[in-house]
Order: sequence, then structure tokens, then C-alpha cells
Amino acid sequence: MSAAITHEEAIKQLDDLPSLPAIVADLIQSIDHEDVDISVLAKKVARDLALTAKTLRLANSSLYGLQVKVTTIQQAITYLGFQATRHLIMAAAITSHFPETTCKGFDGKLFWRHSIATAACAKVLARLMRVNQDYSFTAGLLHDIGRLALATCFPQEFQHAMAYRATHDCTMQEAERAVLGIDHVEAGLMLAQHWNFSDTLCLAIAGHHAPEAPGASALAAIIHVADAVVHALDLTGAADDLVPRVSPAAWATVGLDDHACLQLFRETELYYEEIVTSILP
Amino acid sequence: MTGLHQYMALAQVQEGMVLSDELLDLQGKVLLPQGTVLSTEMLAALHRHDIEALPIVLEATRSVQEVACALEQHRQRIAYLFRKNDPADESDPATGTLHRLVLDFRLHTETPQ
Repeated sequence: MSAAITHEEAIKQLDDLPSLPAIVADLIQSIDHEDVDISVLAKKVARDLALTAKTLRLANSSLYGLQVKVTTIQQAITYLGFQATRHLIMAAAITSHFPETTCKGFDGKLFWRHSIATAACAKVLARLMRVNQDYSFTAGLLHDIGRLALATCFPQEFQHAMAYRATHDCTMQEAERAVLGIDHVEAGLMLAQHWNFSDTLCLAIAGHHAPEAPGASALAAIIHVADAVVHALDLTGAADDLVPRVSPAAWATVGLDDHACLQLFRETELYYEEIVTSILP
Repeated sequence: MTGLHQYMALAQVQEGMVLSDELLDLQGKVLLPQGTVLSTEMLAALHRHDIEALPIVLEATRSVQEVACALEQHRQRIAYLFRKNDPADESDPATGTLHRLVLDFRLHTETPQ
């Protein structure tokens, strides 16, 4: 294929991408720093009216079943806790602040629906496994960010990749490799490093399609399984959706029995519906 | 959870209806077990807990044909989503397990008691 993108080209183009919304960068940083001042963050969010409205709509949804109606970000933090509020803000901010791609046929909404579904599933998984839910949610939300970057930076080439995928009925990653010469995992890792994400997040983004590789993290396994589960549950409803092969190593790492899996499916569906109706109307 | 069920707003739930699933509070504690026949007193208590909606067992309002049709649609859709997975392929056990569980999950929520 002639449209192959060299590593240098990719780095140059990705460098030109807008930086991550400041509030998202702050929130991701706050996962690593326990001593972060919550009121400063709340004030920053409050300056963005659209973001505040979405966050409060979600906080007041039946998902959380609050006894009072929250009207400020600070209240949301008080009632829901910092962790849950942080997830809401992060999801609302990243889906609305990322620039629309000009790539024809690339469905941005579908992309974010899948990202949110994976984040929701990864968070529930993390809770069942008793590991950090913040990292799981964030990594789920951003695991495919390289795909959005490729579609944004190389709209025409990416269109060819989508056509290839449709013709060959393969995974999008296979199509990216065949047509672009670079896949969304590599692009995502470049972007994650460009945005100074922590090693934990970088490893998860880099490893979510190869969780059995030596050195891959448990978080990569969680994202890998969450990705497959949301495809299997048909949450985004994409007509030609395809469940990717599930790595036995990742499945073993997650280690859910049948009962826990059914619980995971139920909770993921509920949580996903609430977030999507609140922030992607 | 078994049988047809529906999340019903608390205001619409009537005495004698049956919980299709256990009811948890925000902390994850069980308020009422699955299968509870709801009494007026319970509904009042749930109101005080600010519960907005309950999973309620539905009477078989759909005909047998309709249910069978819905089941068949689920089966076909799941088979399509898993079109790259061969259940007999022993080198691909995890995808096969997910396939089986999702099928179980979908068919279970559709099957009347």
C-alpha cells in the first residue's frame, strides 16, 4: 500500500495535535498525587459551564440515587466522593474537548461510546478484582486514543484503512497495520508519552492488544478484557462490530468466575447507559 | 435474575409485585432479597431510602412467539459478533468462555420463568 506512514511523519503530526484539555491533564495527575487540593480542581471545573452541566446531570442521574439534588461541583464531590466525580468530569471533558476529526466516515460519537463503555467495564472489573479503579477507568477511556489521533492527523489514509477493514472483515488494528504501517497502539503510546502520562497509563495503552507479552501490566490485561466484553455486550451497537480474540493470559489475570462475569455484564450495562445519556446526548 | 423483568419507578410499583433481583443501597448492602413480594410497608420504607426504581418481575405479557423471536435475534447477533471465534478451537479458550457467558446472560434475561 502506498499510504504507509513513517514513524517520523507520525511523530511530527502527533506533536501538532492540540494538548490534552488542561482539566483532564490535572485530573489524571491527581490520581498519582494523593495530596491534591480538591477545591482548586472544583473551581477549575466550575469555570467551564458546559462541563459543569454535564457532570451535574450525571451526578443527579438515578445511577447514584442521591437524596438531594446537587447543584455545584463541590457538592458532587461531597456526596459522590472525589473518585466518582473525577471520573464523571474526565469523561465529560475529554469527549467534548477533543477536536472533531475531518476523516470522512469516522464516527466520533461511536468512538467515544466505545471508550466510555470500556472505561465503565474496566472500572467495574477493577472493583471486582480489588485494584485501583481510577487507573482502570482512565486507561479504559483513553485506550484507543491513538485511533482518534490517526484519524485526525491522517484523515485520507485512515479512510483507506476503514475501507480495508470493511472489505477484509478484520479488526481495525489489522487494517491500520496493513494500510498505514502504524497502528493505534503505537500512535496511542506516542501520544501518551507526548502528554506525559504516567508509566502505568502508558503501559496499559501500549499493552491492551498484547497483554500476554513479557512486561505487560495487569492494567493492560484489564483493558484488554474490558474491550472484548463491551464488544461482546454490543454496547455501541455498531452494525459490523466484531469481538476480538481474548488473550487466555489476560482472562486468567482477571480471574473472574461465571457468577462474577454475569455481575460484570449487568453493572457495566447500567453504568454505561447512565454516562452516555448524561454526556453524549 | 431470572425471567422477564423491568425497572419500574417506585411510584408505579404496587403491593404484591415481586422483586426480580436483590435490591442494594448505595453502599452495596442488601435492602431486600430477590423474590421479595413487596408490601405497602416495604414500599413506604423504600421511599424513605430514596429508591427511585426497582427491578420488578413482569407477568408474561409477551406471547411465546415474541419471546422466541427475541431469543433468536439475540442468538444470531451474538453469533455474528463472535464470527471469528470457533468454539471448538482449543487454542482460543478465553474467547469461547466469553461467548458462552454472554449468550447465557442475554438468553437468561429474555426467558420467562
